[in-house]
Amino acid sequence: MSEKSPPTESELVDFVRSIDVAAPPELHRRIDAMVTASSPARDRRQPRLRFGVTGALAAAVIAVVLVIATSGASSTLTLHTAVALTQRAPTMPAPAESPSEDGTLAAHVEDVAFPYWEDRGWRASGERVDRAAGRSVTTVFYHGAHGQWVGYAIVGGTPAPSVSGGVVVKRGGVPYRFTVTNGVKVMTWLRSGHLCVVAGHGVSNATLLSLASGVGKGAQAA
Amino acid sequence: MRTLDPQSLTKHVDRLYRAAWALCGSREDAEDLVQETFARVLSRPRVLQGDDELYYLMRVLRNTFLTSLRTASRRPVKGAVIEDVVAADPRPTNRPEQAYEVQEVYEAISRLPDNFRMALVAVDVLGLSYREAARALRVRESTLTTRVFRARKQVAAGLTGEPAQEKQLAETGREGTGASGVSYSEENPS
Repeated sequence: MSEKSPPTESELVDFVRSIDVAAPPELHRRIDAMVTASSPARDRRQPRLRFGVTGALAAAVIAVVLVIATSGASSTLTLHTAVALTQRAPTMPAPAESPSEDGTLAAHVEDVAFPYWEDRGWRASGERVDRAAGRSVTTVFYHGAHGQWVGYAIVGGTPAPSVSGGVVVKRGGVPYRFTVTNGVKVMTWLRSGHLCVVAGHGVSNATLLSLASGVGKGAQAA
Repeated sequence: MRTLDPQSLTKHVDRLYRAAWALCGSREDAEDLVQETFARVLSRPRVLQGDDELYYLMRVLRNTFLTSLRTASRRPVKGAVIEDVVAADPRPTNRPEQAYEVQEVYEAISRLPDNFRMALVAVDVLGLSYREAARALRVRESTLTTRVFRARKQVAAGLTGEPAQEKQLAETGREGTGASGVSYSEENPS
């Protein structure tokens, strides 16, 4: 395989078949987490069947009580919905840089402002505001110099909808949760109690993390 | 027929990662492709018609890869603007002296035309039999054999800097036995 000894085709085949590269441990961890997350749903079916009708009724009553106890319009917003909003087209022009020039845009959700990233190569290109499950979801879209883009959504209202699963990476003590939702790479975290979602196509996980963790002010565990 | 056991899939991660690397030519993209492949497979219970999980994973990997190519073509992106904060894995192989050559060979494979690349990855990287690979890629076995043969020639030529004489032939799709009318089906197993 070296430049000094060009491979014959059979040498090439032998070499390719001998490669023993292992996947990075982080990928193994992510896959393990996904497999674990996918397994309990199936495992739970068996005990339920053993309980029979009475058990099923009891479970249903408990489920209804839980739903009533925890419901509020705000609790039903899912990450799936929030991510879907970041994939839609903007409906408003991009917000301008904040007059205070504090690294933010003149767009915010309650006291959480959207970041100004133009000096980092990401220009705000549009905005949209939606309502989902009783919450406002404001999304600002950013475009990179090479055509890549991300949608950055801040969900209004606290407490923030809970997000689970995926892989958590800490930066500056703040947990950033990476998931793939409907084929879209997503990073979620909290800023001042608000759920923030950055999602995009054509960007690496590292880019998402860098963008998300670059706005650490007020960030909290998600 | 049997239901696919998600737990049994984890033993294929390394091989799938190597296949993804050879398809993409980059370890970072390979990670994403493998993760996306597993996300698809695990999104709902699966029933396998045969026993071979690897064959099934190859089909999903192929479809996921082709989907990513189509997505990328709609939103062409090359490289990230801001610095990557995740360090590259400094130990890509148990044999460090191989590391450079592995990258070189996988990059050469990733430059092959799609159908040649898929064939070589299925047979030489994943280790599927010609029959399994042909089923996974939905081509005739004779077509698969031709593609693997020519793919190896091109990679070997690419590594020695020789002009890839087969390239033009490959790109025009004239592959000999069984090539016509058996190009990729877009049926999605996921």
